Amino acid sequence: MQGKKWILVLIALLSLSLFIAGCGGTTPEPKQEAEAPKEPEVKEKVLVFARGGDSVGLDPANETDGESFYVSRNITDTLVDYEDDNTNIIPGLAKTWEPKDKDGLIWVFNLREGVKFHDGTPLNAEAVKFNFDRWMFEDNAYRYEGEAYEYWGYMFGGYPGVVKEVRAVDELTVEVELTQPFAPFINNLGMPCFGISSPEAIKKYGKDFFKNPVGTGPFKFVEWLKDDKIVLEKNEDYWGEGPKLDKLIFRAIPDNSARLMELQAGTIDIMIGLSPEDATIVEQDPNLQLLLRPSMNVGYLALHNEKEPFDNVLVRRALNHAIDKQALIDAFYAGFAKTAKNPLPPSLWGYNDAIVDYEYDPAKAKALLAEAGYPNGFKTELWAMPVARPYMPQPKEIATAMQQQFAAVGVEAEIVTMDWGTYLEKGEFGEHSMYLIGWNGDNGDPDNFMYVLLDKDNAKVGSAGNFAFYKSDKVHDLLIAAQKETDQAKRAKLYEEAQVIIHEDAPWIPLVHSTPPIAAKKSVKNFIPHPTGGESTFWKVDIE
Amino acid sequence: MKTIKDINTTITPQPLVDDKFTKSGGLWQDTFKRLKKNNIAVFGAIIIGILFFCAIFAPFLAPHDPENGILKDRQQPPSEKYLLGTDSQGRDVLSRIIHGAGISVQIGVISVGIALLFGTTLGVLSGYYGRWIDVGIMRLVDIMLAFPTILLALAIVTILGPSLKNAMIAVGIVNIPRFARIVRASVLSVKETEYVEASKAIGCTDVQIIFRHVLPNCLAPIIVQATLTIGTAILEAAGLSFLGLGAQPPMPEWGAMLADSRGYLRQAPWSVMYPGLAIMLTVLGFNLLGDGLRDALDPRLKE
Repeated sequence: MQGKKWILVLIALLSLSLFIAGCGGTTPEPKQEAEAPKEPEVKEKVLVFARGGDSVGLDPANETDGESFYVSRNITDTLVDYEDDNTNIIPGLAKTWEPKDKDGLIWVFNLREGVKFHDGTPLNAEAVKFNFDRWMFEDNAYRYEGEAYEYWGYMFGGYPGVVKEVRAVDELTVEVELTQPFAPFINNLGMPCFGISSPEAIKKYGKDFFKNPVGTGPFKFVEWLKDDKIVLEKNEDYWGEGPKLDKLIFRAIPDNSARLMELQAGTIDIMIGLSPEDATIVEQDPNLQLLLRPSMNVGYLALHNEKEPFDNVLVRRALNHAIDKQALIDAFYAGFAKTAKNPLPPSLWGYNDAIVDYEYDPAKAKALLAEAGYPNGFKTELWAMPVARPYMPQPKEIATAMQQQFAAVGVEAEIVTMDWGTYLEKGEFGEHSMYLIGWNGDNGDPDNFMYVLLDKDNAKVGSAGNFAFYKSDKVHDLLIAAQKETDQAKRAKLYEEAQVIIHEDAPWIPLVHSTPPIAAKKSVKNFIPHPTGGESTFWKVDIE
Repeated sequence: MKTIKDINTTITPQPLVDDKFTKSGGLWQDTFKRLKKNNIAVFGAIIIGILFFCAIFAPFLAPHDPENGILKDRQQPPSEKYLLGTDSQGRDVLSRIIHGAGISVQIGVISVGIALLFGTTLGVLSGYYGRWIDVGIMRLVDIMLAFPTILLALAIVTILGPSLKNAMIAVGIVNIPRFARIVRASVLSVKETEYVEASKAIGCTDVQIIFRHVLPNCLAPIIVQATLTIGTAILEAAGLSFLGLGAQPPMPEWGAMLADSRGYLRQAPWSVMYPGLAIMLTVLGFNLLGDGLRDALDPRLKE
């Protein structure tokens, strides 16, 4: 009885403290309302956008993660851009572009007139050439130690890769010469990593350019408080339609539920990385709106194909049979996802729907493991991301559930996690054995998934995008052929063929294609979630 | 045999012996009697009793598998099937708490064992031999005490790598200085007593004196400190696990359970509340018992 009384007292205390905390949240509100009319002349429009992790760096050329591009794509513009909610190409800094020859080996870009960088220097052909040279050449004078410029390598097949030369023909005309026809070329140039930065600023800041970015975009960089917030302000001289917001602030709030609480408390305006199960809370809140990002991603578990026991295809297939994808989706995606059987998302052309997925069958998995010489399973590591990703809002939960499913077939996996920057870096060096990760498409071209994630060209230790270190010559030949082919129907065939081989070799366990839910205040207008996982249309966004 | 018994029976009825003296059963029996009268300490002892009972009989007590949940049954509120509800992985919270008791007992005993062993050794060396040994050891202890315990533990785990074993080692190490100080203080006072001087006079070696005379007489404060430290050690280890540096998933460690569930405070408050309560009650139990023991071992202190 004594024990029970204690518990009752404790519960009473706990609920009282919760009640007090609840009251605390509501009291400041009337204050704000009272203060607002006092200073009507200021009325600065500030939008606070919150996500799970901070940017790694703000020099887009030298980063690979979505959190960095979220910010940088508002500061720098690309030569071409995508439409508001799809990946059709529209003009960016280049007004027009066309191939000079019929093979598409030389491309001519005509730049917009009168565009200025935030530091006042003009955007001209020389500036564009300067940027290209820095991306392309490993011995460029403005590259510093430890800078890998991974994305150029991912997209263009190395350094300099398929681009032979970039020439400034006159003030506003740039010519790019390729070594081979390259179908994804224009689509690639719209990616935020190929934003044009001010050459003068790159020279001025040197190694510190990543924290002092200067571009031509609708917003200018103001300050960055690491792991807290990045502040951008309106660029009054923007070449396009001027932004409606005065300030755009990107905050990093690692905990999904803490972020939602801040949104409900009104301290932030938009949040990504909403836990799917919280979607109903958002829908029921009269002050909030639920938005969905069109799906163009894949979440997967990369198996290190060069390490034992994953170098055995039977083991990889066995593990594919061990995971109940539908159960994971039911538990952790609240319906905002589909199971994956291919590396490509079904929304992309070239998706091979004829492939039959490895069905969930622990008995079969055990049999395959025994056949491979592991009748009692084995011990391994399961690496899990520390932050919510659009393709995987709760990586640790998913890792724990997968750990159980692996244990059921005798594979004992220890979950390993570390901070986000280190996680990516160690992955690029191939220090993992099983690596939970995913990819959000950047440009709507299958090449952006297949070549980046599964070609042997991108399985280089230190800058790998192919975290499975899957090296198949057959797949490589098909992917290169698809890059050279310009007929989309023929390219689709090549990608479909490559997916068959990949399915057989099973370098990954493809898990999900998610439709990431986003929550925003109702007062936020014209925020259009883009399938590439980030928006360069913040200049359209307004607050009522 | 018979004769001795006879002698005994003849002696007892004689009123020569002091009444008080016959009733007294030595230090430990006295302590136990005084402890029994202390209701709060008994309450603490009951909690600890339950904890140990759960720890030993966990596989029989727990109604479900603590590590493998049923994803379909995730975040079920407390019900007949799941008395304390389920967590985000569909695991039974009650079963996890029961299995977690064993882990907590292990943490408490092992880490305090480490602290006790090294702390006592350092304390005895420092108190008994004095001089430069004392100065050296005590400055080291001062340096360790200058760090906040959890910070020092964090640093140690970071070096050793996150695992439950290393968390226990870290918690053990950070608690060494407390034992070293307490033992040193007791040794200093015991060293000056007549019986130690007498042992020296008859030619006992240092080792004999330390183990036969000094240590047994320092036992009371050590026991009190050990009981109190088990409570804090469990709390510190839970803290490390909460930060992801102690027990690794899917182990049902209470701190790790809190960390796993804290994101679901709204959807599944039970999955956060009950492990928290378990930690709190356990620490409370050890603290109450420790306080009771202190009062019982040294009644003068109370008055």
